[in-house]
Amino acid sequence: MSIRRWFTFRGVDAAQKRFIAFTVIPLVLYMGFWTLFPLLWGFALAFFRYSARRAGGPFLGLGGDNPFVGLAHFQAMLDFSPDAPLNVRTFHIGVKVTLLFAAMVVPLNLMITLPLAVLIESVHRRMRPIFRTAFFLPVLAPSVGVAIMWGYIYHPQRGLLNAILRKILGHMVVINWLGDPKLTVWGIPVALFAILIAYLWQDMGYNLVIFIAALQSIPDYLRDAARIDGVNAWQMFTRITLPLLMPTIQLTAILTMISAFQIFDLVQVMTDGGPKYQTQVLLLHIYNYAFRFQRMGWAAAVSVVLFLMTLTVSLIQSRFLKARWEY
Amino acid sequence: MTAQAMHYRRLIGRWFRPAYIILVPLSLVAFLPFIWMIFGAFKTGAEIRRIPPTFFPEHFTLDNFRTVLHDPNLPLLLFYRNSAIIAFSNVVQVLFTSSLFGYIFAKFRFKGSGLLFWFILATMMIPSQLTMIPGYLILAKLHLINNLLGLIIPAAIDPFGIFLFRQFAHSIPNDLLDAARVDGAGEFQIYRRIVLPQFGPALATFGLLTFMFNWNAYLWPLIVLTEQKVRTLPIILTWYSTRMGNKYHLTMAAAVLVVMPVLILFMFVQRWIVEGITMTGLKT
Repeated sequence: MSIRRWFTFRGVDAAQKRFIAFTVIPLVLYMGFWTLFPLLWGFALAFFRYSARRAGGPFLGLGGDNPFVGLAHFQAMLDFSPDAPLNVRTFHIGVKVTLLFAAMVVPLNLMITLPLAVLIESVHRRMRPIFRTAFFLPVLAPSVGVAIMWGYIYHPQRGLLNAILRKILGHMVVINWLGDPKLTVWGIPVALFAILIAYLWQDMGYNLVIFIAALQSIPDYLRDAARIDGVNAWQMFTRITLPLLMPTIQLTAILTMISAFQIFDLVQVMTDGGPKYQTQVLLLHIYNYAFRFQRMGWAAAVSVVLFLMTLTVSLIQSRFLKARWEY
Repeated sequence: MTAQAMHYRRLIGRWFRPAYIILVPLSLVAFLPFIWMIFGAFKTGAEIRRIPPTFFPEHFTLDNFRTVLHDPNLPLLLFYRNSAIIAFSNVVQVLFTSSLFGYIFAKFRFKGSGLLFWFILATMMIPSQLTMIPGYLILAKLHLINNLLGLIIPAAIDPFGIFLFRQFAHSIPNDLLDAARVDGAGEFQIYRRIVLPQFGPALATFGLLTFMFNWNAYLWPLIVLTEQKVRTLPIILTWYSTRMGNKYHLTMAAAVLVVMPVLILFMFVQRWIVEGITMTGLKT
């Protein structure tokens, strides 16, 4: 097949063909090299014991000193006995912590941002940007800065939080919020709660502005009609606003969950997974094993698991949304 | 009731809402972490060590900033420069590729265009950690580790940007493009002279978002940039705070210098960032 035949599009014209060839061919090559190739390599790595320090086989360093191990990484993940190797045990902690974190972030985030959006929308138009800025500013800050700020708030001796508690309780409070492994509430480590609060503080601006935009898109006549029928503010929220926002809420919940699965920056800076792996989320586990311990095969296998978790949530979401739109 | 009183009542009714009772204290609490950081940066080392800690600095001192700026291990201007080079390059190239390919996928049909666009959409679903390890290995093979280019070259395509600009390009009338062709304009000229101006504000909004994400990025620069001289601001900030340990007055001064200037800039263009987020539903 000649290159001429290959590019057939409407309004056949040599200039257009050249234009497409000159732009799309580089795009295909680029995406092939920087997206498809690493993707396939990443999946392949999950089946090898691999370190960048070893020479390995001739093709991508696979084989040789970096032997093919088949499904061994995935089989190892299913070893739930107490004497499983450290990487497997910390992986289990990682899955648990990541799921727990996402499961707490999503409802809390929505429970804060949705009423907040309604409140901000209810005040005078001129005042709205001031409040929006107050809650949106952390989104604009680098998460490393946020982690350092909150680390200072949680500091056992110098932190703001213990100082406030001291004022309230009237006696000295030295709680090591981020570093005491024995500190748990309902079996959930307090350090995880501490990170959760910092994360919510940083992240809620996103959902807030999305909800504000969604509220603004609700046509006025619906609210006016309800007002004429004599509904109060609470009924207005539950009967009019909430049902109309439902599609936005669902989409936001899924996006919030997916990004909570990927949490890294705050954890790495605030606790580095500690105390005793209690806040070691999956992405931190992957980072540590790939770049600190040079066990890239294992890290790639864990990446695949994290990818499958994300994919499952996305698929549930698309099912969910389709079901809504079908009638 | 006098007219004056009526006027005030109306004014209060218009401006005061019960919502303020919740909103005002809540937004003050939301500001608190920033304030704690800024106050910490102005305290003396002795005051920082005091137990219990003070809230307001007893006497404001600028010494912490002087110490941080004179630290020979911490040439902040260099790190500002590194961050700026990466962020600006990526904004320029991402805006170029996104607008160009968005336009192409909206207005041209060629063999495989559907499949290619589907592939680009599918890559949006792939979390970055899946390509993180091989991406690092490729950069290592190309000797781009500890090189700012290592953060620029792989970042030329943003699938989301292509998707976004394709939506905008649909609204450009074909007649306009055809008219330009009849007038003898070349295809690239059409993109540059007709399509690009049509995108207008979307370019600014999306560019700003791209800038912000690049400026604040942490994980990928952490992997690629391990030598001091090529580091970006977020990485240098963690490096400095770990090194300083309990010297929070210095860490906070560094944090203020790293976080605040750009944060204030972002605050001024916040409207467009918000617009971008609501337009795209994009999350970091």
